[in-house]
Formats: sequence, C-alpha cells, structure tokens
Amino acid sequence: MNLIETEPGLYSVLLDGASYEVRVLGNEVTVNGHRFEIAIEDPRQWKRRNGAAGTQGRISITAPMPGKVVRLMVSVGDAITAGQSVVVVEAMKMQNELKSPRDGHVTEVRVQQNDSVNAGAILVLIE
Amino acid sequence: MFRKILIANRGEIALRVTRTLREMGIRSVAVYTDVDRAALHVRKADEAARIESYLSIDAILEAARHHNADAIHPGYGFLSENPRFAKACEDAGITFIGPSSRSIALMGSKTEARRVAHEGGAPIVPSGEAAGFPVMLKAVAGGGGKGMRRVDREEDLAAAYESASSEALRAFGDGRVYAEKLIENARHIEIQIFGDKHGNLVHLGERECSVQRRHQKVIEESPSPVMALQPDLRERMGQAAIKAARAAGYYNAGTVEFLADNDGNFYFLEMNTRLQVEHPVTELVTGLDLVRLQIDIAAGAPLPFTQEQVGLRGAAIECRIYAEDPANNFFPSPGRIHQLAEPSGPGVRLDSGIYPGWVVPIDYDPMLSKLIAWADTREHAIERMLRALGEYHVGGIKTNIPLFQAILKDPAFRRGDLHTGYLDQLLKTGINFQTEPPAPYGEVAAFVAAKTAKPKPTAPSTPQLPSTWLTTGRAELMR
Repeated sequence: MNLIETEPGLYSVLLDGASYEVRVLGNEVTVNGHRFEIAIEDPRQWKRRNGAAGTQGRISITAPMPGKVVRLMVSVGDAITAGQSVVVVEAMKMQNELKSPRDGHVTEVRVQQNDSVNAGAILVLIE
Repeated sequence: MFRKILIANRGEIALRVTRTLREMGIRSVAVYTDVDRAALHVRKADEAARIESYLSIDAILEAARHHNADAIHPGYGFLSENPRFAKACEDAGITFIGPSSRSIALMGSKTEARRVAHEGGAPIVPSGEAAGFPVMLKAVAGGGGKGMRRVDREEDLAAAYESASSEALRAFGDGRVYAEKLIENARHIEIQIFGDKHGNLVHLGERECSVQRRHQKVIEESPSPVMALQPDLRERMGQAAIKAARAAGYYNAGTVEFLADNDGNFYFLEMNTRLQVEHPVTELVTGLDLVRLQIDIAAGAPLPFTQEQVGLRGAAIECRIYAEDPANNFFPSPGRIHQLAEPSGPGVRLDSGIYPGWVVPIDYDPMLSKLIAWADTREHAIERMLRALGEYHVGGIKTNIPLFQAILKDPAFRRGDLHTGYLDQLLKTGINFQTEPPAPYGEVAAFVAAKTAKPKPTAPSTPQLPSTWLTTGRAELMR
C-alpha cells in the first residue's frame, strides 16, 4: 500500500492500482466519502473498566450538543421512570427533550433553567 | 444606481448578495452580531457594522446611516418580510430592495393574501366551514411551518387549535389561526414572479418543493416533474401568480406558492414577498441573476425582458445542507468545522457560508450551505448532484448529506413521484444511512488509521519547533 499525506489530515492511498482519498480526523476515517469509526487497540493502554454500563448504579443525563436549558422537569429526590422527560435543551431553534433511560431517583441536578451548556455536560444524575 | 448597499442578513445569503454587488461595482456593507464576528460574510464584504441583533430595525438603520448606504437588501428570514422594516427604510430615505411595505403587509396576513389572490382570480383552497375534515390549521401571520397542525377529526379540533395558536403567538406575536382544507398527497409548486415599478409583471417558471420535513423544504427543483404530464400547467399557474401579484400592487421579486395535483388542479397557498432560499434553481434554468434584477428594479429600471423572452433550459436541483444528524433523529450538530472539501466541476454551484475552522454557532438556523446542480435533463442533474455530494466533506460536525444521497437514489424520487408527505413516508420506512462501502474501503481505513495513529507518549516530549532555516526558506518562497 502506497500512502502520502497531501495536506494535513488528507492522504492519497494507492492499492492494487486503485486510488483512494482518505481523511483522518480523530478516530474518524473517511475513505472516498465513506465514514469509519476507528478504535486503535494498544495493549499498553488496556485498563480495567470499573462498573458496568447497565441498569445498575448511577447514570447521568448529558447534553448531546451545546445549547440552552429551556425546561427542567425534575428536582432532587424525584422518583423517575424509564422514558420520562428530564430536561429540554434548545439549540439552533430546535428543542430536544432528554429522557431517562431507566427507573430511579434524581440524586443531583447540576443546571438551572436558562443555563448555557456544552456538549457532554452532565445535567442530571439518576441513581 | 446605488453606490453602497447594506445587507441585513448573515451566512450564505449575505455572501451571495455581496458577490453580485461586487460584480455590479457597488460597495457592500455586512452586519454581524458578536457570535458572527468571524463569519465568512463579514470577511468578504467591503465594510462591516456590528449590531445587537439581525432583528433590530433601529440598529440596522443606524448602521446604514453610519456607513452611508443608500439601499438595504434584506435577504430571506429575519426582517425580510417585516412591513415595519420596509416602512422604516422608506421613511429614512433608504431604498428597501423588495416590494412596498404595503404589499408586504397585505401578503403577510395569510387570510388577507387568500382574499387578494381570490379576487385576482387565483384558485384558493376551501377554508372555514366549507373545508370539511381533514383540515390544516395555519397561523394567520405564519411561515416556516410554525403554528401548523393537521386535524383529521372534529373532536381533535379544539386541542389542535389551542396548541397551534399558542405556538403562533410565541413565534409571531399573533395567535390567530385559520383552517384550510387539507389537500392530501399534493405537490408544493411555487411560481417565481418579478415586477417592476412601472406595472410590468412576469413569471420565471416554477420550482417544485414537495420534499419537506416538518413543513420545511429540503430539496427544490426546476422544472417540476409534473410539467411533463401537464404541458399547459406552467402557463396557467404563471398567469394565476401574476394575477395575485397584480392585485397586491406588487413589484420586485416574489414567490406565489400553490398546492397542485397530478391532474392539473392547483390552489393558491400564500405569497412570499422576498427572495427565496431556493432562488438559485431558477437562476440556473433561466440564466438570470435574480439579485441583480432585484437591485436594478429597486433603482427604478423597467424589467429588461418580456414574458416571451423568458426561456427555461435544462434542470436544476438544490439541496439544503444542514448541521444536523439524520441518523440520530436530526439532532442539531453545531461545532467547529475541522476539515472542509467543497464540490466543484461541471454544472455545480455551491452557495456557502462556512470555512475550515468556522464554529457553527448554536444561535442561528443550522443551514451551512446550498448545493445546486444543473444539467440538460432532470436525470443528469440528479446524477450530477450525487457526484457533487460525494465530493463534499465537512469534517468535525454531522451534516444531512447522507439524507440527500438516500433521497436521490430513491426510485419514487427518480420517477418524480412527489408530494408533501413523500419524505415523511420515506423516513418511516427507515433509511439505512450506513450504506455498505465497497470491499477494500474498510481495509484502507484501518491501514491509514494504524499508519497515522499518534502513539501516546510515555514521557513528556519537547515540542518540535520548525527550524529557523526552513521557516525563512518558506517565507522567501511566499513573497
């Protein structure tokens, strides 16, 4: 396989006489317009994962994108059922209702109405 | 003619207007809010003024006076269809590039517009008691799908009315709602009209905008595929549109929207008193620059051609490229654009407001650009659009490009078998956005990823500075 970097993050690859345009951005690799999520496994980086992502333990409701909290439907101590709306985040004129993935209790509310939040910010914790 | 024009808008449309102004030798004044300081439209204009909001009439007029602009182009959205803005420009002695404030006010009320269009002889959809279920509730002051509700049964009417009215009140400050007969499986076809200040009116053919999601247009094209089935329909709709516009004393660019079926029946929906987002498809099939035409007409020039001289050639399609993730419920995807490769080549036009490094703000509409393809036939235009979409790479954020690729390959779309419910039906059947890539792609991706992966440093490394010699050598070459 013959590879050269033609501009930062952009590679020209020749393989068996075929030509490919490949873009690399973080763990996303695009080959002729087709996107791939790539996970590089380096044995030196292996770590023991604590806790299982399941129906037990604490889970957090996070903002899927930057935006503004326009409605907060729960407070600390509230019992909550799977599918119940927790918070509404607005971005780009679109309101997005975030729901609890399972039953539990609200243990912490980290935002207030009208707060601006970043993508990935923890809004509410449920246990 | 004007010496300097302020563009009261942002993004791709502000840049698109700037480009025509440069061709005409007219200076351009951009406006921007704080989050748009680094926006492309600011950089590409001759002058720029900071404002609090794109909706502030006072701030925009103040900027126009300060920069000695003699006219204002409103673009679309924001203040473009606000009669108070047009009136304020008229009162300030600054030319508003569009119709009179009176025409805007008349057509801005959907119920008034229906009356005027009906008096002018355009067929309208039955409304009120005469409609019969199902009906569509619409905001009197409406636009952009806000305050619209489909109602199938009488017992649902009260609840739907309540929610439509409160949505309309929030969006337009006017909670009035009216009911119109719902025309099922109809096409959304609109006629571009143009009038001068001397009473001349022409139409520039139609645009089919039936591919919609949540009452928002997604793909537009000209000509409409239905025109092949109904050869006299364009002229009948064109004349109906001109009648409606004449009844409103209309001049400058305007669009008359209709619902149409495959049997040649059509009904007036509403009139948009501005340049439309989708105006490029008309520009490509007519060969005209609609912004230049708007400016000439605003300066008092007569229309430079007659209806008979308007020719339509080939087929054009437009895709509205949005920062949203079609595979994840169309969630907005603002953020930084890390990589950008833009399509080009034969028959491809890109009206864009983005660049590599631009952070798409959360404060505004998520439209990034409009990709338009033109070819001799509709089929070739679709193939060309698919080719161009394949060249388009926006790295760092998600876009709806995969949605367009799915629609343009759909057999019903290819046949031109369209109605306003088309896209909802297609989405309901479930589009697989993860199309199977050709065999060696995965292998190539893995190879490049492994080859370019940066191993995590085990010890702190000193940053590698480029050598002074190398930097100097490059600087010499760049002179």
